[in-house]
Formats: sequence, C-alpha cells, structure tokens
Amino acid sequence: MNRTPRLAVAATASTLALALALTGCGRSDEAGTTAAGSSSITDGPATGTIEVWAMGTEGELLPELAEQFEADNPDATVNVTPVPWESSTEKINTAIATGEVPDVMQVGTTLLSGFVELGGLAPTPEGIDSEAFFPGAWDTTVVDGTSYGVPWYVESRVLYYRKDLAEQEGLAAPKTWADLTDFAARLQDAGAEHGIALQTRGNSTALMYLPFYWQAGGEIMDDAGEFTLDSDAQIKALEYYSSFMRDGLAPPVLVEEEKVQNFIDGKLGSFVSGPWERANLLTTAGDDFADSFGVVPLPADEATGSFIGGSNLAVLADAANPDAAWKFVQFATDPATQVDWFEISSDLPAVQASWDDPALADDEAVAVYQDVLTTARSTPAIPSWAEIEHELDLLIEQVIAGDLSAEDAAQQMQDAATSIGTGLD
Amino acid sequence: MTVSARRRRTGLAAWGFALPFAVLFAVFMLLPVASSLYMAFTDMHGADLKSPWAVNFVGLDNFVAVLGDPKFQQAAGNTLYFVGVAMPLTLGIALLLAVLLNSGLVWFRSVFRVGFYAPVVTSIVAVAVVWRFLLQPDFGLVNSGLGVLGIDGPRWLTDEVWAMPSLIVMATWRNVGYSMVILLAGLQGIPRDLYEASAIDGAGAVRQFRSITVPLLRPTLLFCAVITGIGYLQFFEEPFVMTQGGPLGATNSVAYEIFNQFGFGNYGVSAAMSYVLFVAIVILSYLQFRLLRTEK
Repeated sequence: MNRTPRLAVAATASTLALALALTGCGRSDEAGTTAAGSSSITDGPATGTIEVWAMGTEGELLPELAEQFEADNPDATVNVTPVPWESSTEKINTAIATGEVPDVMQVGTTLLSGFVELGGLAPTPEGIDSEAFFPGAWDTTVVDGTSYGVPWYVESRVLYYRKDLAEQEGLAAPKTWADLTDFAARLQDAGAEHGIALQTRGNSTALMYLPFYWQAGGEIMDDAGEFTLDSDAQIKALEYYSSFMRDGLAPPVLVEEEKVQNFIDGKLGSFVSGPWERANLLTTAGDDFADSFGVVPLPADEATGSFIGGSNLAVLADAANPDAAWKFVQFATDPATQVDWFEISSDLPAVQASWDDPALADDEAVAVYQDVLTTARSTPAIPSWAEIEHELDLLIEQVIAGDLSAEDAAQQMQDAATSIGTGLD
Repeated sequence: MTVSARRRRTGLAAWGFALPFAVLFAVFMLLPVASSLYMAFTDMHGADLKSPWAVNFVGLDNFVAVLGDPKFQQAAGNTLYFVGVAMPLTLGIALLLAVLLNSGLVWFRSVFRVGFYAPVVTSIVAVAVVWRFLLQPDFGLVNSGLGVLGIDGPRWLTDEVWAMPSLIVMATWRNVGYSMVILLAGLQGIPRDLYEASAIDGAGAVRQFRSITVPLLRPTLLFCAVITGIGYLQFFEEPFVMTQGGPLGATNSVAYEIFNQFGFGNYGVSAAMSYVLFVAIVILSYLQFRLLRTEK
C-alpha cells in the first residue's frame, strides 16, 4: 500500500529525466574550445575587486604580494581565497560549471587543459610577451594553439647526490647516461647501499621517467598532434631507466617515504627531485647537512631534458572584472615582482629576466636550476593527459618488475594513448 | 462528505509532515541516482559539466567497454578475492570475540570491548601510518618478529602476492569491532534459561553454541553479513592510502577504478562501473538473505 506513491515518484522522476534527455541530447557540432580573438589589456591602474583563488602555500602567502598591488592601484582590492590542493580540481570544476568563479586563479601546469576543455578560462590577451618566460613553462598554457594563462612560478627536476661520498671516490658530476650509471655504481663502492633512487611505481612515475625519454630524443606527440610513444627512444629510455633497478644500483621497489632518511643516513647515494627537497632535507637533517649534498642537472644523452612543473595564473572566462584581473596577472609576472615573490615564497620565477637578479644568481642552490629550466619541458597540454599518464605509470612499473619488455611497453603506451585520444575535439 | 474532507485534511497534513524529508530525499538522493543512471548510458565526460544534456546516448556501449576492460576485470577479481576472504574472516573473528566477551571474560570486559572497537572509530589516515610502520620490510614490527623466528618476511605492501593479504588483515582488524559489538548485543538477547535447560539435558559448550547460539543469532549474523558485505564490495580506503592499487594492479578494486575513471573525467564509463558494482551488491545481499534467513 505505501509502496505505490514512492514507486510513482520514482517513475515520474525517471521518465522526466528520460524525456529531458531525449529532447536535449546530442552533441552540437560546433562544441569545443572557442578561441575568441585575443583582446588587449587597457592602460591605467586597476579598479574594483579582484577575487583570486590560490592553492597550498601560495594561497597563504599571496596576500603579502597583493598588498604591493593594492598600493600601486589604490582603487583596487585583491581578495585571496586559499584553496587546498587536494580539493582544488573539484572546486574549480564546480565553479566553472555554475559560473560562480573568481577573477584570477592559480592553475597547476598539468591541470590547465582540463579547465580549458570545460570552457572556463579566457585566452591570454596581447601585451603579455611569451618570449619572457621559459619556453617549457609557456607551452603549458597553450592548448590547441591558444594560450590560456601566464606562467607564474616553475620547478624542475635535478639530481641530488651525497657530495662526501662522491669526493671519497673522486667523482665528477655525471654528464652522460654512461656517467650516471658509473656514478651510481661508484657511490655504492663508497658505502651507499644504493647508488641512486628512481620512482618505480605509483602516481607520477611517468614524470620521473619522462626526462630520460626526452634525453633519448623522444617526443610524446609530433607537430601534427599524433602520439609518438612507440619510438626507438622509448625502448632505449625504458631499458636505461629499468637497468638501475635490474643491476642493483637502485631499490627495485622504491618506498618514497624512506628516500630522504636513507639519503641522510648515507644509505642512498643520489636521487632525482625538485627544488622543494632542499628545505625538506635541511628540516630533517639540520642545516649542517647543506655541505654534505650537491645538486646538479640531470645527465644528457641525445639532448638535455628535465620536467618543468609549477603553476600558471589564469583569468576565468566568466570573470566579473577581467581587465583588472589581467592587470594583476601582468603585475605578478613582472620580472621585479617575480623576484619579490621568490623572496616571499621561494617559488622559482617563470620569467627568465628575473634570474639575473643577485637574489637568484648569487644563490648556488638556486642558480643550478636556470640552465635546467631553459630546456625543461612539460607533458602535453591535452585534457586526457592524466589518464594517459596513469597508463604510462602502470606500464613503466611492469617494465621495472621485468614483466614486460621495453618493446612491448612502448607499443602498449602508444596503443593506450591512441585509444584514449587527446580529449580535444 | 465530512469524512472524506477530514480524510483529505489528514492526508494533506501527512504530506506536510513528510514534505521536508520528501524534498531532501528527492533532491539529494533521487536526483543524483537518476542522473548517474542517465550518465551510464551516455558518453558524458569532464568537458560536458556545463551542458550535461548535450551528450550522445550510447546504449549499453559503456557496459560492454567496462566488462571487456582488462583493468576492470582485474579490479573485479581483486574485489571478489577481498570480499571472499575478508568477509568470512571478519564475521568469524567477530563472533569468536563476542562469544568470549559474553561468557568467559568478566574483569576486563569493557577494556576489551573498547580495544576492539577503537579501530572502527579511528581515522583511516592514522591507521595507515601505523600499519605502514608495522609492515615496513626492514625494521617493521611484523618482519622483526618474523626475523626472531628465523623467517625472512616479504615486502608486504610492494609484493604482488602479499599486498592483498596485508590489506585483508588490516581491513579485518579495522572492521571486526563493529560486527563484534552488534553480535555481543545479539548474544545478550538470548535468554539464559535456554542454556540452563540444555545443560540439564546434557549439552556441552560446543553443542550449545551450534544448537542455541547460532540459530538464535541468525538475524544478527545476517545483519552483520549484509553490512560487512556491502562495505567490503566497496573496498576503497585501504588501497587508496596504502598501495594506490599497486603493485602491478594487485590491490586495485572496483571502487578504486571508479574513482580513477571519475578523476579522468570519464563520467559515462565510471557511472556504468558503479552500476555493475551495484548489481554485485544486490546479488551478494540476496545470497546472504537466502543463506541466513530464519527458518520457519
């Protein structure tokens, strides 16, 4: 008896959904990213309120930089909302879908294409010079030929090694692939249990591996936008990468959490990581440890190559105050502001000119990144990249475990990427 | 006329009282369920959030793709393995603990009750940290203990064979307290005199357990089995915090795969996966009801 009304409600709801679906369904042909003709930024100071969303540490520190902007633009107010990284994608997706968006937001370089696909970001106007930035960083803003943001800060991967162990063996920084293998072996001779640590599984394994692929001369996509993952460079790089685990020079299964402690204990000779690791090492081991390790660029093979990450600043397509928003972006990516921001947050400037400033040039621990960043590159700015990267993570893990040959893995990478597609339609 | 008017008025009043719930239920339950069902039959993905109606109907294509996907098959196999081992293990241990707490232990009963229940209310994040220390291959408590016995313990969480058993033990430890408390309540509801009567008839402890405890506990056991089964089929937190589904996909579960596919923006495919999981839950619950229903 009491079942009937509930059933009726359910039935009505589903019929309604179906009816709506049937009348409204079907993709329109012109769907996709509409690249509006890029406008330009007006002259004069910014006015009005600028809502900014920033993540993690940046979200906490940005108000300090915003004060400078407000001092230069008395009629403008900057409201910074810190957003935790973990929930940022959902929060931004929801904001874009509902149109309740901020004016400016910080976008992780690898996440940008997803928001562009949703139609959430505005194309970069004229008046922002792409040449001013590291080319790898600028590329992360370009989706399907149009730029949708401006590089804000960058990070890249380098080789951390135990200086004391290397000196003991009279080792110079490795320049080539053969050098690196020898370097790892000799660090073991000097007493390390493992000469090097490379990520063997889990999220972002591909980001650790791809620099080696680029060094071998590999490309993820060609100019026509087709995947080129089944190249000889892929086989070569996979064999080289897995050779460290196979030959006992690197832990066959790396437990990330133990890496830093093993390095400090001298059980690990070297590892690949980004600029944040320095602070991490010094907090764990004390400031004296700074003399015990060195940082050098990754070795080169056919080419030099590293991964470039970081964040861009983007203005939302539905921003309420776009002109002031772009002025804020322009301010944040000005060479002088970038140096100020480096001093506030330790984030490395994305603008090349900022690196001539003594604050960076005279700091050895930082200066090493400059050359690395000039040739470092990111993963393709395509919406489906996260899914492709997940497939690569799984395949690399199988090659390291010896379950899959490098040839088969290269082929499967290509097949997986091709079947997933670029997500740009 | 007055009767029908009064009836109509009580009807309206009833709807008035039901309205807050009905509206909340419709908005937060019915609508999402209907839209996920809709999603499962379309090619919806991340970019369609702004215009969810502008998608193509693909019929059963998503379901065909899901069932033919080797990664999903592996995840389904892993989930069955997990449920098949962890569920009987959890219920068995919970029953054992409940019986022990109900009969023998008098002094420290509440201490034990709290001890076994604590993991249920502890955050998985804290649990994960502790268990990672326990299972750490070189200096972890488990392998150190095994070392004393002269056994060289495996690399629990990174070994393809041992990763799943490790998670099974961890999940059992986490969930056994819940079933234990429910079963303990069930045991305390069994009249004492039944045991006394059977003792007079010469029944031993084993016979009492088989002929009195288990039959009278059937409804409680059924409840625990269904709740545990539903929870375990949605096995997600343990691999998420401990292994990320690895090594080599050995601890990837259906719920984890759904989470991944949603993350990649493949809404259609992951909605289809959710309904496959839903059907599995219905089947498991049906089997449990058949198996454990009270005999008339």
